[in-house]
Amino acid sequence: MAETSESQASASASAPGGDAGGEDDKRDERMLECNICLDTARDAVVSMCGHLFCWPCLHQWLETRPSRKVCPVCKAAISRDKVIPLYGRGNTKQEDPRNKVPPRPAGQRTEPENNSGFPGFGFGEGFHMSFGIGAFPFGVFTSTFNFGDSRPSAAPHGTAQYEEEQFLSKIFLWVAILFVLWLIFA
Amino acid sequence: MANIAAKRIKREFKEVMKSEEVAGGAIKLELVNDSWTELKGQIAGPPDTPYEGGTFLLEIKVPETYPFNPPKIRFMTKIWHPNVSSVTGAICLDILKDQWAAALTLRTVLLSIQALLSAAEPNDPQDAVVAKQYRESPQLFNLTAKHWTNVYAGGPSSIFDFNQKVQLLIDMGIDEHQARVALSTYDWELERATEQLFS
Ligand SMILES: [Zn+2]
Ligand SMILES: [Zn+2]
Repeated sequence: MAETSESQASASASAPGGDAGGEDDKRDERMLECNICLDTARDAVVSMCGHLFCWPCLHQWLETRPSRKVCPVCKAAISRDKVIPLYGRGNTKQEDPRNKVPPRPAGQRTEPENNSGFPGFGFGEGFHMSFGIGAFPFGVFTSTFNFGDSRPSAAPHGTAQYEEEQFLSKIFLWVAILFVLWLIFA
Repeated sequence: MANIAAKRIKREFKEVMKSEEVAGGAIKLELVNDSWTELKGQIAGPPDTPYEGGTFLLEIKVPETYPFNPPKIRFMTKIWHPNVSSVTGAICLDILKDQWAAALTLRTVLLSIQALLSAAEPNDPQDAVVAKQYRESPQLFNLTAKHWTNVYAGGPSSIFDFNQKVQLLIDMGIDEHQARVALSTYDWELERATEQLFS
């Protein structure tokens, strides 16, 4: 059904209008129109089947029907990797439109933030074996000296986390010293 | 993105207006509101069909996601066709559903609907009752479709026998359209139609 009318439609659209050059100019302009928005194609790409689109328009079409990626004009198979960007003469940047617009939602991922954890956990990194182990008081003492050296998990110098760790390590160092003194004098 | 929809409809509207189908009277397009979200379409019943000579109005609603999704179209003029609901006017046409393609336009869609009137798809019916008649008694189907075209779409062929039967039921206090539906459904057998109406 669709095929019939489409061929009818294109037949009548390409039927010679007859006369003037004005008609011809219009047809030339139309050659460069995007088949989706019907405007002059921007960031133009052309499909393997030869159909012209704005990349943003084609991108949205492909996103709308992820399971059925066909050319909006002739229904041939189409995909992101099988379209060719077109670079006109006036276009100095020659940037592949597929790389800039629009950022593909599926491809985006944000890295987990480094210092987003609960601040109190900062000192778990070095101290988890230290509390309440009366038998190994000196283990506590030495473990505190792990701070400040450059273990890979340590926060970079100058950051708030680094400052915090330094502060905590000093406090803990004093607690450990008091603990040792208490062991000795008690 | 609603922006792209309105912009495209404006463009399509201009193109349809300049098209030879409009010049030839085959299709027509009319704006319903200023926001370009609703239009009224009109198609002429194709020659050599029971719809010949009739004029069929269509309600066209343009979704915000147009042209990435199809326009919503239904018949406002009542029509007897296997792929159109005789009750709601809903159309069963693949390009208005999963076969929609963004490069199709209101013009090509209207032409497709017109083509559907020339070549029904009884295997993919919208109206099961009509489709059954289309398959089992094609001659009766043709007459019924002609009758509906005459009554609702201004078609030329008035069918005396049918008009009389409808009038009989009207005289019995039945609503005209209801009477016509019942008679059409029961292959114009007055008895069965009456039975159904009064049961
Ligand atoms: Zn476009
Ligand atoms: Zn194509």
